[in-house]
Amino acid sequence: MMKYRLILGLLTVLSALVGTDRVRAQGQLTVSGYVKDKANGEGLIGVSVYVKEANTGAVTNNYGYYAIPLPKGQYTVTVTYVGFAKRQLPVTLTDQNVKLNIELEQEGKELAEVTVKAEREEDNVRNIEMSVNKIDVKTIQRIPALLGEVDVIRSIQLLPGVTTVGEGATGFNVRGGNIDQNLVLLDEAPVYNSSHLFGFFSVFNPDAVKDVKLIKGGIPALYGGRISSILDVRMKEGNAKKPELTGGIGLIFSRLAYERPFLKKEDGTARGSFIVAARRSYADILAQPFLNSDLRGSKFYFYDLTAKGNYKINANNTIYLSGYLGRDVFGSDFGFNWGNTTTSLRWNHVFSDKLFLNTTAFYSNYDYLLDSDLKKKEENKNDYFRWKSKIINYSLKPDFTLFLKNNTLSFGGQAIVYDFKPGTATAASSGDVRTFGLESKYAVEAALYVGNEQQIGSRLQLQYGLRYSYFNYIGPGEAYSFQTDVPVGQRRFPVLNQTKTYGRGESIQTYGNWEPRFSAKYELSDNSSFKLSYNRLAQYIHLVSNTTASTPLDVWTPSTNNIRPQLADQLAGGYFKNFGPSGNAYEASVEVYYKWMQNQLDYIDGANLLLNKYLEGDLLSGKGRAYGAEFFVKKNTGALHGWISYTLAKTERQVNGINKDKWFPSRFDRRHTLNTVLLYDPVKANGNPSRWSFSGTFVLSTGTPATFPTNQFQYQGYVVPHNADNARNNYRIPVYHRLDVAATLQGKRLRSNGKPRKNQDNWVFSVYNVYSRKNPFSVYFRQAVPEYVDKVLTSADGKVTFETKALQGSNKTEAVRYSIFATLIPSVTYNFKF
Amino acid sequence: MNTHHAKQTMNRLFSGIGLLCLLTVALTGCETVIDAKLDEGPSQLSVDAWITDQPGPQSVRLTQTTAYFNNGVATPATNATVVVMDEAQKLYFFTDPDNDGTYVWTPPTTTDTLARIGRTYYLGIRFQGEEYYSQSKMNRVPPIDSLIFRKEKVNPLSAEEGYQAEFYANDLPNATDYYRVRYFRNSQLQNRPQDLILAYDGAFSGSGNTDGLAFIRPIRQSINPAGLYVMNDTVRVELQSVPAEAYYFLELLNQQITNGGLFATPPANVPTNIINAKTGGKEATGFFVTSAVRTRKVVVGPATIRAK
Repeated sequence: MMKYRLILGLLTVLSALVGTDRVRAQGQLTVSGYVKDKANGEGLIGVSVYVKEANTGAVTNNYGYYAIPLPKGQYTVTVTYVGFAKRQLPVTLTDQNVKLNIELEQEGKELAEVTVKAEREEDNVRNIEMSVNKIDVKTIQRIPALLGEVDVIRSIQLLPGVTTVGEGATGFNVRGGNIDQNLVLLDEAPVYNSSHLFGFFSVFNPDAVKDVKLIKGGIPALYGGRISSILDVRMKEGNAKKPELTGGIGLIFSRLAYERPFLKKEDGTARGSFIVAARRSYADILAQPFLNSDLRGSKFYFYDLTAKGNYKINANNTIYLSGYLGRDVFGSDFGFNWGNTTTSLRWNHVFSDKLFLNTTAFYSNYDYLLDSDLKKKEENKNDYFRWKSKIINYSLKPDFTLFLKNNTLSFGGQAIVYDFKPGTATAASSGDVRTFGLESKYAVEAALYVGNEQQIGSRLQLQYGLRYSYFNYIGPGEAYSFQTDVPVGQRRFPVLNQTKTYGRGESIQTYGNWEPRFSAKYELSDNSSFKLSYNRLAQYIHLVSNTTASTPLDVWTPSTNNIRPQLADQLAGGYFKNFGPSGNAYEASVEVYYKWMQNQLDYIDGANLLLNKYLEGDLLSGKGRAYGAEFFVKKNTGALHGWISYTLAKTERQVNGINKDKWFPSRFDRRHTLNTVLLYDPVKANGNPSRWSFSGTFVLSTGTPATFPTNQFQYQGYVVPHNADNARNNYRIPVYHRLDVAATLQGKRLRSNGKPRKNQDNWVFSVYNVYSRKNPFSVYFRQAVPEYVDKVLTSADGKVTFETKALQGSNKTEAVRYSIFATLIPSVTYNFKF
Repeated sequence: MNTHHAKQTMNRLFSGIGLLCLLTVALTGCETVIDAKLDEGPSQLSVDAWITDQPGPQSVRLTQTTAYFNNGVATPATNATVVVMDEAQKLYFFTDPDNDGTYVWTPPTTTDTLARIGRTYYLGIRFQGEEYYSQSKMNRVPPIDSLIFRKEKVNPLSAEEGYQAEFYANDLPNATDYYRVRYFRNSQLQNRPQDLILAYDGAFSGSGNTDGLAFIRPIRQSINPAGLYVMNDTVRVELQSVPAEAYYFLELLNQQITNGGLFATPPANVPTNIINAKTGGKEATGFFVTSAVRTRKVVVGPATIRAK
C-alpha cells in the first residue's frame, strides 16, 4: 500500500507544479509547433529552438514538437539542427499563443547528397544528454558495410562503450551489460531479437529508419525495463511532399521502399503519408550450386517488411501506425525459422500548446519454430520432432510532455502484459506421438514516472526524475521451491510437495523498485561543459542464454519466485569540449563510468535451458561490476571528417558456484577498444564536390576472455580437458583488428542537356577485412578425430571380409582458432531513388 | 533436444552461413590450428572404471592427468590398490602385473560375471597414500530388437552410396532410463567425439516424456561412420545402461570435447564420483560406472538390407 500512496503523492506534487506554473504564467504566452524536414515533411527530433532575447529555448521531442513559454513581445526564433541550414524567424506575441511550424532545408542539397557540414551550433557541449550517441542514417549509409549492406546495429558497434562477443554474434554489449540488457525499440515497441542471419545484419531496414539513438547512461525516467542501454530507433513517417521510390541491389539482398503523401489538400500539404519498405536475401539461391554435402538444398534466407503511416486529424491530433514483420528461415533436412512482429499505434495529442501527449499501444511478438524434417514430411511421418516457442506482449504507454519556462516536465506510465510460451513440442518415434512442453507464463509490468529538465541560470541544467516499476508474475502456473542443501553450482531439484498451483490472474510473486534518475550539466564556457549522471534501472525479464553468442533459440523468462529482477546502478561523469576553427570543428569528450549490477543470471555447468520445466534449478545468480573511460573525438567539418573513439574498460562477474566464487572477467570484457571512422569527400578544383566519396573504418580490440584447460585426462578413449583450478575465463584470445573501406560513386546529377536529373543513384564498392586477417572469434581445444582404415581380407574360399583399424595418434590434442571470416570480402551495391 | 544438441545444430548451420559468406570470394577455412601456451596444473589421479555385466575379466584404468598438449600415452598410475566390493561385501581385487595402469580382475572361470543388474557396487583405490572411494548401481537395459541397413548416398551431394545402419530398441517403461550406445565396425570401436551417443528414455534429455517409446530416429541412426558401411562389413552395436549421475557426466564430457564455434558453452571441468576419503585431500578425476550391456552383431548383406 505504501508504494501506491507514494505514487499518489508524486502525482499530487506534479499537479501542484502544473498549477503553480499556471499561476506564475499569468501573462505568459506560448510559441509552439512542429519542426519538419522541408524535403519530405519528416518530423525532426532533437532540433534546438532558441529565443535569444529571452535566453530560453526548447528541443523538439520524438515527434518534432516544441513549445516555449514567453511573455508578450517581439522575438527571433533560431532553429538549428545538424545537417540542416539554420533558420531565424521573427515572432510577435501580443495576446495569443502562436503556432509556428518550421520547415528546415538540408544544407547544400543542390550540391550533393552528403555534404560537408559548415557549422554545428547545437552540439554535444550544450545538450544535457551524456552517454548518448546518435548516428544519422546518412552516416550509417557511409560506413563501409559487410557485403555492402548498411546496418544499424553493426554501426553502433563503432561507438565508444559498445562491444560484442565477436563478429556474427547477435546483439551488442553496452558498458559491460549483457545483450538482453538493451532495450531495443522500434517505434517504441521492443524488439526481442534484433538480428537477421544470427548477428550479421539487424532487423532495421536502413531505408525506413529516420533516427537512431543509443543511451548508455543518464537514462531519463521515460525509459525503463532494461538495465544497460536504450536503443531508440525511429522509423520514417513517409514522404509527405511527393512519392518516392528508393531501393538497392546488393550481393546478399535487395531492398525496395515506397513512400508517398495521401489526402493532399488544396494548398499542397498532405493529411498523411506512408512508407512501405521490404528486403529479402537471396544468397541461398545464388549459393545453391556451391553448397557442399549435407547443406545442399538448404534454405537460408530472411525477409522483412517495415511499414508506417501517419494521418493528421487536425492541428492537435496526429496518429501513427507502424509495423514490422521479419523472418529468418534456415535449414536443410532439419530446419527452423524465427522472427519478430511488432505493431505500434500512436496518438499525438496537443492539449494546450504547452502540454503534449503521446499514447502508444503496441504489440510485440518473437517466436521460433523447429522442425526435424523440412523435406520428407510424408516419408518421415512416423518420426519427427517439432517445437515452438514465443514471447508476446501488449502494452499501453501514455507519455506527457509539459513545456514550462525553463522546465520541460515529462510524466506518464506504462503497462505491459507478457505471455511467455517457452516451448511446446511434438515428438513422434516409430509412430507413437507425444506432445509435451512448458505451460505459458504470464506477467504484468507497470511503471509510473515523472521527470523534469530544468535550466538554472545560463550555465547549469538539471534533469531529474523518478520511476517506479512494478512486476507481477501471475497465474495460471506452478511455482516451485528448490532444494537448498545442494552445493552451489550444482543442479537443484524441486521439492515436489512444496509446489504451489496458482489460478488464473492470481499473483505468484511481485516486485517493485524505485528507480531514481539524475543528470546535470554545467557549462564551463561556450565550448566546454562538465556533466554528471546517476541512474538506477530494474529489469524483470531475462534472456536465458549460456552460449558465447546468443542463439535464436534462447528463451526469455520472467522474474519469478526464484529469479529476482536485475538491478543496475550507474554513475557517470564526463567532460565535453569543442575546439578548432569556428569553435566547434572538433567535438571531444571523455566519460568515465562505474556500474554495479545485481541478480545477474548465470548457469550451472551442463545447464539444460530449453524445454526444462525446472529451469530455475539450473540457474545461478551473481553480481557484476563494470567500469571504464571512453574517449571520443569527432571532426565535423572539412573534406576529411569522422571520429575516433577509444574505450578502456573492465567488466567482471562474481557468481557463487563459478570460478571458486571469485570475480572473473565476463565473456564480453575487452580492455581496449579503438574505433576509427573516416569519411572523405573530395572537392574538385572548380569547387564542386566530386562524384566520388570514400570511407574507411578501423577497429581494434583486446581479445575476449576464454577458459583454457591446464591438463587433460583420458576417459573411454576420449581426451578430456581439465582445469586444475576450475577457473573461468583465465586466458584471452588474440587481439581483434580489421580495416574496411568503401567508395561511393554518385550517379550524374545533370542530364546531357544540362538539366538536373530527377532520379538519383549511386554505386557503393566496399571491401570488408581489407588485409584478410583471420580474426579469432574463439580459440578452443580438441582432440584429433581418429581415422579408421579398412583392409580387405579374402579367404581361400573367396569370401570377402574386412578389417578396420584406428590410425595412431587419435590422442593428439590441438588448439584451434575459429574465425568467422578468413579473408577479405569485396562487394558492390547499387542504390537508387526515384 | 537439449541445449547442447540445439547448439550443435546451430553451429552446423552457422558453418554453412560462414561458408556462404566466403563463397563471394575464394574459399578458405575458418578453423586454423594454432600454437597455444598453456600453464600446467598439478597432476591428479584419473580413474576410468567401467564395469559391465558381461562374463569374463573386468578392468579399471588408472592414469594421471598431464599437460593438455601431452600428445603421448597417458601416464599410468602404477602401484595402486584397486578393489570392487558388492552388496554382500564380497571383494574383487584388480591387479596390474605389467605396470601399465590397467588393473584387471580375472574371474576363476571364464563365464563368471562380476556385476549383476539391480545391485550396487563400491570401488576403493589406494594411490600414493591417498584413499578414494566411489559407488555405482547397475541399471536395467532393454535388448536391441534388430539392426538393419538401407542403401543411401554417403552424403546428399555424393554419387557414392553406402549402407546406413539403424537399430531398433524400445525404452523400458515406468522409470527414467539412461543409456550409452557404442558401435563397432569389423571389431573396431568407432570412437570419434560424435560417436559418444547418449540416450535418455530413448531420446535426448529434456525432450520431454518419451518413457517406454521406441528409441528416436536420430539415435537409431547415430551408429554410422562417416562413409557409411559397405557390403560384408561386420557391425556390432552395444546398448549400455548407465546410472543417472554417469549419464550427466557423459553428457558434460561430450559437451567439453565438442565445444567450439559460435555457440560454445563456457568450458568447465566435468564432474567426478571418485571421492577422496579424507576431506580436503587431493582430488581425483574420472568416473566409476557400472553398466549392463546388450549387443547385436550382424553382417551387411541381403538378410539385413531393407528397401528404402
